[in-house]
Amino acid sequence: MNRILLIEDDAETAEAIVAELADRGFEVHWSADGVDGLDRARASSPDAMIVDRMLPGMDGLTVIEALRNDQVRTPVLVLSALGAVDDRVRGLRMGGDDYLTKPFAIIELVARIEALLRRPIDSRETILHVGPLELDLIERTARRGERRLELLPREFRLLEYMMRRNDQVLTRAMLLEEVWNYKFVPATTNLIDVHMGRLRHKVDGTGEVPLIHNVRGSGFVLRSRQ
Amino acid sequence: MRQIQLIRSSTFLWALAMAAGFALFVVGLFAFIYWELDDYLIARSDRMITTQIHFIAELSPAHRISAIADHLDQDSRGVQYAGLFDAAGTRLAGNIDRVPRELGLDGAVRGVRLDLIKQPAVHDPVVRVVGKRLDGGEVLVVGRNVDETREISSVVGQALALGLLPAFSLCLLAGAWLSLRAQRRVEEVNQRVQRIVAGELRERLPQDGTDDPFARLAGIVNGMLDEMETMINALAGVGNDIAHDLRTPLTRVRLALERGRSHAGTLEELQETIDKAIAGIDQSLAIVTALLRLTEIENNRRMAGFGEVALDEILREVCDVYEPIAEDKRVGLSVVIARDVQVWGDRDLLFEAVANLVDNAVKFTPSGGRVELALEADDDTALVCVSDTGPGISEQEREAVLRRFYRSDKMRHTPGVGLGLSLVAAIVKLHGFRLIVGPAPGGRIEILAWTGRAGKVATRRSRTLLHADADQMG
Repeated sequence: MNRILLIEDDAETAEAIVAELADRGFEVHWSADGVDGLDRARASSPDAMIVDRMLPGMDGLTVIEALRNDQVRTPVLVLSALGAVDDRVRGLRMGGDDYLTKPFAIIELVARIEALLRRPIDSRETILHVGPLELDLIERTARRGERRLELLPREFRLLEYMMRRNDQVLTRAMLLEEVWNYKFVPATTNLIDVHMGRLRHKVDGTGEVPLIHNVRGSGFVLRSRQ
Repeated sequence: MRQIQLIRSSTFLWALAMAAGFALFVVGLFAFIYWELDDYLIARSDRMITTQIHFIAELSPAHRISAIADHLDQDSRGVQYAGLFDAAGTRLAGNIDRVPRELGLDGAVRGVRLDLIKQPAVHDPVVRVVGKRLDGGEVLVVGRNVDETREISSVVGQALALGLLPAFSLCLLAGAWLSLRAQRRVEEVNQRVQRIVAGELRERLPQDGTDDPFARLAGIVNGMLDEMETMINALAGVGNDIAHDLRTPLTRVRLALERGRSHAGTLEELQETIDKAIAGIDQSLAIVTALLRLTEIENNRRMAGFGEVALDEILREVCDVYEPIAEDKRVGLSVVIARDVQVWGDRDLLFEAVANLVDNAVKFTPSGGRVELALEADDDTALVCVSDTGPGISEQEREAVLRRFYRSDKMRHTPGVGLGLSLVAAIVKLHGFRLIVGPAPGGRIEILAWTGRAGKVATRRSRTLLHADADQMG
């Protein structure tokens, strides 16, 4: 069971996060201020941390900086009401691994925590395998079983990202940021869905077991097991 | 308190200094007039006694004594002196007792003491005297009392002193009055400013038709207040727009929740209600996010993220992202790049701007239409052009579309938060580029960018260029 430390001063937000994460099988500890949070992080070495930026006692970023100075590599998701690009960049530069702006969908938070816990191993493999899918990163070719998939470069990039994170919910925001390098929310909200539709059409042929699934209200997942 | 204020006020102090200066000037003037007058009167008496001594000396010895007596008789004020002495110094005629020792007998006028027969009661008179030895050996002495010049001088001095007092008072009064007047005006301005601070934006400073510095200052401040009132009203307008645009999704949320609460019988129905509510709230949040983003760009004067940006790459990427969406809508999307161009700017923001333009173009172009992305360039400018076969932007709407939240009636039911073009305009402004909205029919929006060296200069000056460009954009 993964242990998560949540440092958040707003009790109601914290309660909702703790409840949701507990439902999903995480063991969550909550700390309401920076100093206490830092002590707990040092004492209990959790698997991942969720840290609010504005905290009484000690600022969230200072907590992260202190941990990083102690060579603690625990992945950290920064929560903040500050949504400007500069704030985000600063949050990540100070040692945060991901940054989520308030208000956020709880499902987004869960997806990102799961992504942090399962950071893809920086493999030197040049061929990725997920179920019947095979992706050759050097030849730039994709196959499903014996069938060769004719992918456009952007589709190839998307599939590679999903195969590195198989069985993991990927939200639209994560895909926008990571695959398309978007720093903003596009006006057309179904942008990702259209791209995903194209990819799915090629990956899941008629009569085949679908691999790419929609997760209601949150995003997509590439399932290796049925 | 008020008196202390009055005395401390600089206007009053200046008046006081002027009064002091004036007093000094009057004293100086008095001294000057005194010396001049004194000189003049003494020279005059000297001439008179010289004339008299010559007159008497010319007479025959027999007439001299009677002439001296006549001369002294005519002098009712007792300021004339004369004496005729024989060679041994014995007085023959006149009112002078003896010949003064200091007196030379050469006909030059001197100021000496005279021993008179009848000494005056008050003091020894200061006199001007001239003496002459006659042919017969007698000595003739004629003198004149010049005390009267002192008297005249003192009269003049008194007159000036008398004038000085009222002048000094007048200065003080004028100073006090001017100071009071200035204080009253400052007080009035203060009261009006307090009213403006309290929120009464229509209030203006008093500005009588005169051309004094106060009125001119008030005029300048009033001009500034006009400008600020317009800006604040515009901001308030934006506030109203935001409130209105937020109300629409929130009303839907409320209705859905209300209906769900009273009608939902099953878990599925309840979930459906909640999904609707979440969608409405997400829409509201999207508006808030877009607004914050707009503010962020508009306020971001730092150019930290600036660097060389390849416009051709951005266009190709945007085209790549929007191709499937256009295809789904059966809208042709193509990109034409005449030349690869680099500009000085923020890559992410420029990408956002072009993406927004393409997003809009695809959204408003009907099925079967075409959207074209083009990049043209010459030596120091680059032109990004997004054109489509949609309805375009009419003359009347051109300025309005750049305002926040503007959506024409035709677009009322098209999804989107109506901030897209405002964002583009803000990004273009930040870079010091120009946004050109082409005429309808057919949509055509261009971004005119400066390349190379000129681009960097333009970027640094962008704040000043903005206003000019905003004018031209309309």
